[in-house]
Amino acid sequence: MKEWIFTTDHKRIGIMYLVGSMAAFVVAGIMALLIRLELSSLGPTLTDNATNYNVWLYFHGAAMILAFLIPSLTGFFANYLIPLMIGAPDVAFPRINAFSIWLFYVAIVLALSAFMVPDPPDVMWTGYPPYSVQTTGNTSMYVFTVHLLGFSSILGAVNFLCTVIYMRAPGMGWNQMNFFVWATLAAFVIQLIFIPVLAAAVTLLLFDKYFGTAFFNPDAGGDVLLYQNLFWFYSHPAVYVILIPAVGVVAEVMAGMARNPIFNYKVAVYGGAWAIVVLGSDVWVHHLYTSGMVDWLRIGMMVTTLIISIPVGLLMISLVGTLYRGSIQYNTAMLYAISVLFLFLIGGLTGIPLAMTSITLHLAETYFVMAHFHYVMAVSATFAVFSGVYYWFPKMTGRMANETIGKLGFVLNFVGINLTFWPLFSIGVDGMPRRYFDYAMFPEFEPTQKMATMGAIIIALSMVVVIFNWVYSAIAGVKAPLNPWGSKSMEWTHTQSPPGAGNFPTPPTVSADWSPYNYGKHTAQTI
Amino acid sequence: MADHGGHGAAHAHEHHWEWSYYPLILVLGIFLSVPVAFGFFFQYHNATLGIASLGLGTPLLLWGIAGWTSEGIANRDKEPGWALTGLPFFIVSEILIFLSLFASYWMLRLTADVWPPAGTPHIGVVLPLIMTVILVSSSITYHFGEMALEEGNKGSFNMWLMVTMALGLVFLGCTIFEYNHLLHEGFGFGANAKSTAFYSITGFHASHVLVGLGAFVCVLVPALSGKISHSLVKGAGLYWHFVDIVWFFVVSQIYLW
Repeated sequence: MKEWIFTTDHKRIGIMYLVGSMAAFVVAGIMALLIRLELSSLGPTLTDNATNYNVWLYFHGAAMILAFLIPSLTGFFANYLIPLMIGAPDVAFPRINAFSIWLFYVAIVLALSAFMVPDPPDVMWTGYPPYSVQTTGNTSMYVFTVHLLGFSSILGAVNFLCTVIYMRAPGMGWNQMNFFVWATLAAFVIQLIFIPVLAAAVTLLLFDKYFGTAFFNPDAGGDVLLYQNLFWFYSHPAVYVILIPAVGVVAEVMAGMARNPIFNYKVAVYGGAWAIVVLGSDVWVHHLYTSGMVDWLRIGMMVTTLIISIPVGLLMISLVGTLYRGSIQYNTAMLYAISVLFLFLIGGLTGIPLAMTSITLHLAETYFVMAHFHYVMAVSATFAVFSGVYYWFPKMTGRMANETIGKLGFVLNFVGINLTFWPLFSIGVDGMPRRYFDYAMFPEFEPTQKMATMGAIIIALSMVVVIFNWVYSAIAGVKAPLNPWGSKSMEWTHTQSPPGAGNFPTPPTVSADWSPYNYGKHTAQTI
Repeated sequence: MADHGGHGAAHAHEHHWEWSYYPLILVLGIFLSVPVAFGFFFQYHNATLGIASLGLGTPLLLWGIAGWTSEGIANRDKEPGWALTGLPFFIVSEILIFLSLFASYWMLRLTADVWPPAGTPHIGVVLPLIMTVILVSSSITYHFGEMALEEGNKGSFNMWLMVTMALGLVFLGCTIFEYNHLLHEGFGFGANAKSTAFYSITGFHASHVLVGLGAFVCVLVPALSGKISHSLVKGAGLYWHFVDIVWFFVVSQIYLW
């Protein structure tokens, strides 16, 4: 027991990240269901008090992004997989790794206590002033949740950068690493550079609310737009912190299940992931199109926003190319991975009109935006997480996840997601505003809202199926063979499932022609 | 620290499941003494619970740091020195946070009609220049200490380290003196845009001086009994020099401009 609670082992810490982030996911998902039920009919449905609704919105957004997506992708997957993929016994700083996981857990405790304290935070996940400064709600709780998670992520970034720099197996060159390792490194560099800006933004919020400073107080020369700029300077790149590792997970699953090397590996790494790191810092102002700014800046940011679809497109080409002429196995992991392509395509294409300054004036702050970012970021990344959990399930537990229940969960999930978010595009174009507690002025949207709520109920059912399947299979699943997918990647070929302390029975070394995607010479072509 | 696990025993190259108490203790200490205590004091205005939370959190925090340091010192011969790569990465983060504060200050200042705004007392430049001399001297004295250590002179290193820490304390004392003076003149945190920027940036820098001093305590206490970790010495020094360099920006932007 002591060796679990006080563990510094990256695999155990990784599993703790998975458990913690799934717990946050479940609670935040229940909030989403409450939001959807509230909106299922005109007028107050579940609650008469709009502040309750605001607290649900706050928790849903903050927890899904900060406590589920980012920690599951850069916490769970990075922790569990990077040392195994590069042939290392652990991370560079194991105790700092343990420090990070506990910071993450106390942050979740702090966020969850929003349901127990008087005056809970009600500031969305964005915490925009002047509301967040003037509210009687406990904004400090929001601020410190961001601080704790940010500190955790920054230390994680430092840890994994050093791990990959120093601890690759002897002989492993940079371009022999799994694409997932590259993708996660890119995400960590974004975390390292941009999180401090968010931390500064919320710190200033704290100063303003509790010590009376004037950063965001226009009467004393401050400016609320300062907060929005600082906030989105991190929070736009945060989308890529989620996207790039999600693509990395999907790429690994696709390579393994299609038995092909990653198509255009170097283009995906340098022209995709790293180009996003560079360009991703120059697009944040598109979140402020309607907040007020000079026209030349709006046009410039429109251009950069459109340009960033190029590296993202290169990543997608690599994914599709990896499937080309592969011998594809359609199991649950692969179904989730392939559906990411469809969901991301919908999300990506609806992003183009939002990038256009003229069209966005109509669409800003409507359900169209909300449906867009749920497709492009929330749902796509969540499907990538599920895909990865199914793919590495035998590695973590030594047992196979049940395929029948898995596919049932997938179908319900896929149907539910699209039933929820697809109709919202349409009422968004018709003018349904985001974040409203009630929509008495738009009674014609009620049937669509009902449809979306039905979808949300189906998603909730599918989650019950998925989580039941994981728990059931981890306890009573069929024993997994050593390498069930026939992968060539080091976490499957060089150690048992689950790996023991120190990961590898003998420290691995690799030769110059080794590749994690070496599925036969005639197909092993990379540019 | 390592406990004998049951795994890998079949192989000659035996591994253990590694573990440590201190990361969790440190996190609990931070949690109770910062977010929880802050919430009690400033959001719920409940000083009793605030003090209770601080009283519980601070010992945990100190215990966590002390235990962690002693584990690190015990393993100092085995550690590969990667921390000296990790710390600069961390400092990149710190630079960005200071940059955000300065950017906010520039925004406040450059959009103001008059600067300094009405209600700003005279803020002298003599004291900050003295503080600059003190902080630069402390970086130099630490460097002398490191040079003494390279020659194997541990006693001399301890002496220079204590001089450095004394200079750091004097620096913090100057900050307190200055704040006290300005607050007496009615220049509170929320007085105007100048006070907003002034206290935020100098206060944030002072908190970094405090962290640097904390790191020096972690170097000094084991060093007094002759236990010295090369990485810890270099790392604490690197951080101190960084804090020193940030001060130049603070002085030039806040006091001299």
